[in-house]
Amino acid sequence: MSILEVKELKAYYSTEKYGHIYRVRAVDGVSFQVHKNEIYGIAGESGCGKSTLLKAVSGLIKPPLEILEGEVAYNFDDKILDILALKEDKQRRQVRGVRISHIPQGSMSVLNPVRRIKKSFEDIVDAHQKIKDRTCFDKMVKTHLEALGLDWSVMHAFPHQLSGGMRQRITIALATILKPDIIFADEPTTALDVIVQRGVVQLIKQIKKEQQNTLIMVTHDLAIHANLCDRLAIMYAGKIVEEADVDIIFNQPKHPYTLMLLKSLPTIGDKSIRASAPGAPPSLIHVPSGCRFHPRCPEATERCRKETPELIQVGEGHRVACFLEEGSK
Amino acid sequence: MKINQKNSQSKQVKLNQVGVEQASSQLLTVDDLTKVFIKGQGFTKSTIAAVNKVSFSLKLNQPEIFTLAGESGSGKSTVAKLILGFEVPTSGSISYKGDKIAKLKGKKEFMRDVQPVFQNPFETFNPLKKIDSYLYETEKNFKMAETDQDQLVEKSLELVGLSTAEIKDKYPSEMSGGQLQRTSIARALITNPSLLITDEPVSMIDASLRMSVINLFKKLKEEQGVSIIYITHDLATAYYVSDRIAIMLRGQVVEMGSVEKVLGNPLHPYTQLLKASIPVPNPANKWASDIALSDLETKEYSRSGCKFSGRCPKVQAICKECEPENYRIEDRDVKCHLYK
Repeated sequence: MSILEVKELKAYYSTEKYGHIYRVRAVDGVSFQVHKNEIYGIAGESGCGKSTLLKAVSGLIKPPLEILEGEVAYNFDDKILDILALKEDKQRRQVRGVRISHIPQGSMSVLNPVRRIKKSFEDIVDAHQKIKDRTCFDKMVKTHLEALGLDWSVMHAFPHQLSGGMRQRITIALATILKPDIIFADEPTTALDVIVQRGVVQLIKQIKKEQQNTLIMVTHDLAIHANLCDRLAIMYAGKIVEEADVDIIFNQPKHPYTLMLLKSLPTIGDKSIRASAPGAPPSLIHVPSGCRFHPRCPEATERCRKETPELIQVGEGHRVACFLEEGSK
Repeated sequence: MKINQKNSQSKQVKLNQVGVEQASSQLLTVDDLTKVFIKGQGFTKSTIAAVNKVSFSLKLNQPEIFTLAGESGSGKSTVAKLILGFEVPTSGSISYKGDKIAKLKGKKEFMRDVQPVFQNPFETFNPLKKIDSYLYETEKNFKMAETDQDQLVEKSLELVGLSTAEIKDKYPSEMSGGQLQRTSIARALITNPSLLITDEPVSMIDASLRMSVINLFKKLKEEQGVSIIYITHDLATAYYVSDRIAIMLRGQVVEMGSVEKVLGNPLHPYTQLLKASIPVPNPANKWASDIALSDLETKEYSRSGCKFSGRCPKVQAICKECEPENYRIEDRDVKCHLYK
């Protein structure tokens, strides 16, 4: 059963300059489904629209971001909730934190630098639940922190007194204290070193096991996806180019971009030359015609320059947007 | 008495000369380097030894890529700052071609020979300044080109796989992170340096462009004879590119040796943990066991005995009491009581 269904979502940033409207096509016709209790990964380079996709899906739409078309439907306890149809921000706020939760990137700028950690916990809990008894609140936070292996003493610290890894763990604890049904994690392990990274992944897995929720993981680090996710989507320039089970993506990738990403990863014990992709990711204002990957693709044909490939099914739960696969079907 | 003094003096002079001769075969020698930061005031005052007796050296005329690796807060960036002279060491010394950096009169020559490449290419460059001006300014500051300015700029851009036409009259916002970082390296190459100090040069660059910068380092070492100190927490790229590696933990170097040996078969329990924590891009090799998460940073810094004893799976009673020495095993230095 799917808990989230996104259909043909288009989210653009619009800016006006000298009377001319520029559109940054950050999310351009994205459709996918997330099943209950799974970890769904979204991978792609910076500027491919993955953070915008998360914003649009969780209803955090503020100008210049606007939704042109598309549908985002959640299924909570067999009730369909269309988050884009909720007109007022107030209604959306009631969903956020309780049903949907967001683990943001860059934990340094997430926590308020002049308030103790405990205050941040009070803020989020008080916004959704009325707990008059403070000892009750303390107990609730304490059991949550203990389950995550965090010490109660951090509650009285200021953010600058904690290391980056500790701050990230607190951000995760904050996002999950109200036991949300679906968690969006936006690059939670980026800028952390390998050991802390492993600790954070461990923590996320543990939370998922305890609270039985669904997780959408966004990061550019394919190795993290390999460790954590069940299914994986690869994004390039605002579109999903390939989607499949993690094993299939890593063992039988079909799209040239996925192949290229996987080839560039170095591993310990192998010193053979790794090539990097030619060129650079395209600007989302002036997107290339046809297939957006064609200027960097080694197998681009005349057709790729003119027509846009559709995301087509090539196997069990395996979708690819490439003309090369059309023939083999 | 007098004769004795004279004798001992001449002996000292001789010793000094020997020392200089040894040192002059080294490009860079870092000896017992220590940097202590003071935190707080009055009653809350505490000290943190961000760099604690670190020693290593790079040989002259033998270009190599030397990696300093470790988790965040291990003091690796502080080492870079100390070498570049942004911080003054509390004790210990850094010698460049046999001369102590602190005593160098004309710093310009040193600055010309040792060039930095910084972490975030988007912050390295002023967003309101055209990017090619950095190249021409460096050239002017170090009086590099007597005749043709453009030629030198073109040459160093060529080395990093760019051309003058690509960056001419462009602002940093018009270029990708990989291009900017390569321009940053091109700027460093203008002065024809013998040592590049690169602090996390690829951590801000996209996955698909990362290898272009890493491969560039390899090429510079092989073709231009530039030695590189590569500071990173990404052990997979460190293994790919470097010759020697030093693993740092809370200010100390715990294991140092050739990269194949240290990462291929780590001896120190911390290096073993690091290696096991590198995510492998293969869903068949997921992390199986759980690890002990680190304590508060300050707690680990102030720990007497081995700094890793709080998290070490092979901890003994002795580890919590006294600090281990460096032991030489299998062509590498290991700082662990296990190898006494």
